Formats: sequence, structure tokens, C-alpha cells
Amino acid sequence: MIALFHAVCTSLKNLWYDKNARSAMIVAICIYALLYPQPYANEVVRNVPIAVVDSDQSTASREFLRRIDDTDSVAIHAANDNLLAAQELFYAREVFGVVLVPAHFERDLLGGLPSSVAVFGDGGHFTLYQSFSAAVRNASQSLGTEVRIQRLVSSGMDSNRAQSIVSPLEITAVPLFNPHGGFATYILPAAFVLILQQTLLTGIGLLHAGRPQLKGLELIASPLAYILLYLMWIVVTRLLVPAAYGISRVGDILPMLVVALPFLTAVTAMGFALLRVFPTRASMMFFLLLQGLPLFFLSGISWPTESIPDIIRLIALAVPSTSATAAFVQVDQLGATLHQVLPSLKLLAVQTLLYGAIAVLPKRSKVAPTALR
Amino acid sequence: MPGRPCAGLQRILRRELRQIARYPAWIVMLVPAPIALLVVLSLIFSDGLPTDLPVAVVDLDRTTLSRQAIRMVDATSDVDVALQASSLAIGKEALVAGDVYAVVYLPENMQRDLLSGRQPEAITFYNNQYLTVGSIVARATTSALQTFSAGVSQSALISSGVLPEAAREALVPISVQTAPLFNPALDYVQFLLAALMPATLQVFMIASAAMAVARDMRVRSGSSRLVTLGRTPFGVLAGKLVPYAVFSLFSLIVADAIIFGFFGAPFRGSIPVHMCYTVLFVLSCQCFGAVVGTLAGEAVGALGLSGVLAAPAFGFAGVSIPRLTMNTFAWSWGSLLPLVPYLQLRTDQVSRGVSPEVSLSGFAWLTAQVLIYGSLAALLLWRKSRPRAFGQEGLA
Repeated sequence: MIALFHAVCTSLKNLWYDKNARSAMIVAICIYALLYPQPYANEVVRNVPIAVVDSDQSTASREFLRRIDDTDSVAIHAANDNLLAAQELFYAREVFGVVLVPAHFERDLLGGLPSSVAVFGDGGHFTLYQSFSAAVRNASQSLGTEVRIQRLVSSGMDSNRAQSIVSPLEITAVPLFNPHGGFATYILPAAFVLILQQTLLTGIGLLHAGRPQLKGLELIASPLAYILLYLMWIVVTRLLVPAAYGISRVGDILPMLVVALPFLTAVTAMGFALLRVFPTRASMMFFLLLQGLPLFFLSGISWPTESIPDIIRLIALAVPSTSATAAFVQVDQLGATLHQVLPSLKLLAVQTLLYGAIAVLPKRSKVAPTALR
Repeated sequence: MPGRPCAGLQRILRRELRQIARYPAWIVMLVPAPIALLVVLSLIFSDGLPTDLPVAVVDLDRTTLSRQAIRMVDATSDVDVALQASSLAIGKEALVAGDVYAVVYLPENMQRDLLSGRQPEAITFYNNQYLTVGSIVARATTSALQTFSAGVSQSALISSGVLPEAAREALVPISVQTAPLFNPALDYVQFLLAALMPATLQVFMIASAAMAVARDMRVRSGSSRLVTLGRTPFGVLAGKLVPYAVFSLFSLIVADAIIFGFFGAPFRGSIPVHMCYTVLFVLSCQCFGAVVGTLAGEAVGALGLSGVLAAPAFGFAGVSIPRLTMNTFAWSWGSLLPLVPYLQLRTDQVSRGVSPEVSLSGFAWLTAQVLIYGSLAALLLWRKSRPRAFGQEGLA
């Protein structure tokens, strides 16, 4: 036991004195913790500038535009007389959308004729477009409903009855979790799972690629050392980083640690298994570097797993982050019980065994090329 | 040693090609690996739009009208009623377990209250932790329920009999004609994939250039020998980076072939203009990588530094979150990355199809990056090649 403790300490010391491993497994994580959240630090898209072209210039059209301006998501930045001027602002990226209110908007609206407004936005800019069109839709709905009620009331109907006839069903959408729709809350809890995986794999590559296979006590001590180090990083990235960026978490700490353990063992085992494929440090690093973005989109956080073709989904299940990301997010952000993430935990355990077996298989006697370091 | 002006460049180029050819594993990493990643990314987004996202319904009414509402939710292409839960608690459990993205709650006595004008409330609880999916699901169920409500409203007007003409009036007084320009189907291929592929290749370009430049700088004499061979630092950089430029350009063209050929995204610009900034993008990434490589001074450190700088770049690119909402640091940092002007030029020229004059600032931006990073890399290399380099060695 004492021997193991010493061996673990030696492994950690080796890690600390290897400049590259220290950079990957300690310095890089600190930099990521500072750099990565920056784009998302403002959380919500607010007051996106838009231009309006009001060809009606009536009380109703002004009321309609005021309702759009009143929303949190967009703000009217420019009022133009014609569409061309608004388009110019759009192409210059000064505004991100244009609302066009046609002439006779008010006349049609009050006369019971369908009046229509047009919305132009860049469909290639998804988030902006969605919040913009939602703002316009909401404004048109609330104004339209009021106009219909008024018309029924003015023709002699009781106002309560008019209201219930115009909108018989009250429709509410309630966001559970991340109620403000924050980007940091959405991206960061998932991204840091991947960051830990990639840096841990890289660190193992840096410390062990192109070197003799581990034997004896070291075979237990080295993985154990990395898992212990990364348990600390789990605490930092899942508790401290969210706290620093104002991300609220729902789950308890204990179930999170229970997810962390098989995740770290699976990643560590995978790291040692990858050593069998990549003979040099540089080649393993280069390979890992390219995987980051695709792996993130395989985790099901920003692109639903239901829409990923089965074959890709199956291949992706071989990587710990795929199931672990969902499990961490469920436990931390949704307050899921361990029972609810059991399938992920089982998968991580299987990965640990499988990769562990690959890692300790006896090596073919072949001289690994040492160049390209 | 007099000779043609490009002799130094050619010597370095031949040397680099020999080094690449020596390791077959390395060749795999330079061409098939990036292409394979592009294919995986394309397969992930091959649906274009998420459809049939699972939702649960909790129908406490169990009447003709409530079932009709459920059918209408199920009928939308975006969502699929995957679970009929008997209570809200069961529905929420399925949501937390990740089986469904939303729970649609229809209250007891909904039909009775609808018909008697008591305005019952239908609630969609959706999982907004998954922001993209959550908003799709919430929008789809809400609009299905609105259509349902409009139908009830219509029949109430007719059956009330008092206002036969009112029933014929516009049910939706103000219709919103949404015209998502340039991506009318709101297809994720054009929105996300078209940006993700260059972002992935940016990591590849920066890392390969950094590695190539750093590989020979491990010992101090290495840099001097390089500069002697290549005559000038620019000769060294050009000779070393040409092979990787060819590989990178090839991968970018494959990515474009997938987007415009396979997925059939409209190409509204001119191919020469598109190629022009694509080449500038490659050069800018490579010069950026060369700066990283000369700073690191050895291959593994160069890859590590590339990873720290280039791997988080996608978040700064303004695709998932618009650049105008970022803080000053994130905005400025994004401006330094080649991906940002490239994606802006690409949006302008290819999807918006504006005239190249509109994009002059983008061209200037990307060109400035090439010049600044290129000169910086050459300067660093020159300093390190001098017998007594006062630049610090190693990873900064």
C-alpha cells in the first residue's frame, strides 16, 4: 500500500517535470477554463439590432413596431423609408434583420382583412433569426388577438366571452432548466467534459508514447495518479468554473462524482489503448487535436442524437465523452438520479474493461520509430 | 552561392517532402484523416433538420378534443409523441432521463372548459438545457396547439350563430411572412456544417504548419541551418508550408464539394473570388501556425500551443452565438483568427451573393492577417537562427 502510494507520487512527479505533459494536463486546462467560456460569457442574445420599414405610418403600425422593440431579444436600430436602404444596413452587418410593414396595414387590420408583415433575416444565422422571428410573431399575435377581441366587443359581445372565443385555449411554454436560455449554461457543462477527455488522452500520449509498456506496480500507479489528478479537475470544472460564470447547477455533488469515476477510468484506459496505435507523441497529439469539434457534436447536446445516423452513433459510443457528456449534463443540470444515467455508467465501465484489455495486451516485438517527435 | 532566387525555397521544399514521405503514418494524418473527419461531420448533419424529436404528453382530459390536440402535435414534422404519460411526474422523469425533450400537459376537463369558454391552459414544459432542440420542440408544440385553438375558436364562432360573418374573418389578423434569406429551409447543413468544416480544417492547418516549422528547430543550430538552406526566413517558411497548403486546399475543396455538390446548397458567388479568399484563408492559418511553431520551437510543444489556441476557435467564430453579443475580449480574440474573416467573406460572397466590393473589408482583414503573421513568423525564425538568439527558447 505504501509502495503504491510512493509509486503514485512518482507518477505525479514525472508528470510535473515533463514540460509538455504539464502543459497539457495542468496549464492547458487552466487556459481553457479562462478562454473557452469568453464567447458565451454574456449568456443571452439581447437587443439584436434590426431595421424597420414602416410604409403605413399609422397608429396600428407604430403600435406593432413598439411591441417588437419592447421584447428583450431585438431592438429597432434604424427606421428606413424604403427596403433598399434597410437592405444596405443588413449587408453592412449593422442590422441583422428587417421588418416590413406594408401600406394599408391599419386599414386591413381594422377592416377584418388579413394584413401581413414581412420579415427578412439571414437564415444562415440561426440563433439570431430564431429570436428575431419569434419576437415579430409574438407581437403580431398579441396585437392580432386584441384587434379581434375589440371587433367582437364593438359588435355587442361581452368582453369575457369575446376573449374566450378568440383564444379558447391558453397556451404556455415553460422552460425547465436553463430558464433564461443562456449560452454558457448550454455549452460549458458539456464542453468541459470533452476538454478533460482530450487533455487527459494527450497527457497520456505525451508521457507514454514511444516508451516501453508499463510493468508491475507502475501499471496501477500511473493510471491511478492521472485519475486522481483529474478528479481534482472534475471538481474545478464542474463546481468552480460554473460558479465563476454564474451557471446554476441542480444536481448534488455525490452523483456527479459517481459519474466522474467511470468516465476517468474509461478515458485513462482509452489513452493507454491508443498508445498501441500511435507510436509517437506527435502523431497521437495531432490525431487528438482534430477530433475535438466532431466529438462535441456527437454528444447529443447541440445536435439531437435522434438525428445522427445509427452507424455514426454506434461508432461514437466507443468514445467515453459521447455518453459521459450526456450523463454529466443530466446529473448536474437536470438533477437526474444515478438510476436514470445507469446505461451511460454501464457503457463507461465496459469501455474501461475493453480499453484496459487492449492496453495491457503483450506488445509485438517491433521497434517503434522514434522520429517525428 | 549564387543561383535562381527560388533555389533556397526549392531546397527546403524537397527536404520537407522527403521528411513527409519517410513516415507513411504521417501521410495518413495529412490527407485521409481530415477527409474522414469531413465525412463524419457531413453524416452527423445529413438530415439537415432535426425531425420527429420525442416528446411526452400528459393527457388528463382524455376526450375527443384532447386527443385531437395530441394528434395535431404528433402530426408536425418536428416532434413525435413518443410517450403517453399518466402524470406530470412521469413525464418529467422521462425528460430528465433524456428520453423526451418536452412534456405537453393537457389539464383535466379541458374539453368541457374549452366549450364553455373558461379558457383552460395547455402547458409545454421543455428542456431548455438543450437550447437548440428545446427551442425547436417548444416552437413546434406551441404552434400546433395554436392551430388547434384556432380551430376551436372557429367552430365556437360558427356555433354561436350570432356572428356568421365574423367567423369568416381572418382568424390570424396579422400574418407574418417570414423569409429566411439565403437559407430558406433553415437547414443545418448551410448554417452549421458549412462553418464546422472550415473550423475543423483550421485546426488542421494551424497544427500542421506549426509542427512543420517547429520540427527542425529543436536544437538552436537547426534554425540556423534552415535559414542557410532557405537563404531567407521567408524562403524557409514558403518551402516548408507549400506541401501542407496543397493538402489543406484539397480538403477545403472537398468540404465545398460536399456542401454545394452533395447537399446542393446554392452557390451564389463567383468561383474565382471564392478561391481567392479560400487561398488567403489557408495562408493566414499557415502563417498563424508558423508563428505558433517558431514560438514553441519544438514539435510537441507546437502542437500543444496550437491546440490551446485553435481548438476553442469555433466558439469565437460567431456561428452558434453572434459576435456582436460577445464581450470585448472574445470579439477581439475572434478577430485574430483566420476563420472569422473567412466565414464572413464566405457568407457575403457565396450565400448572400453580394458584389465583391461589399466584401473589400473582409479581404483586407484576411490579407492583413497573412502579412502580419507571415512577417512575425519570419522575424521570429530569423532571431532564432542567429548564433546568439536573444529570443527565449521553448514554449512561452
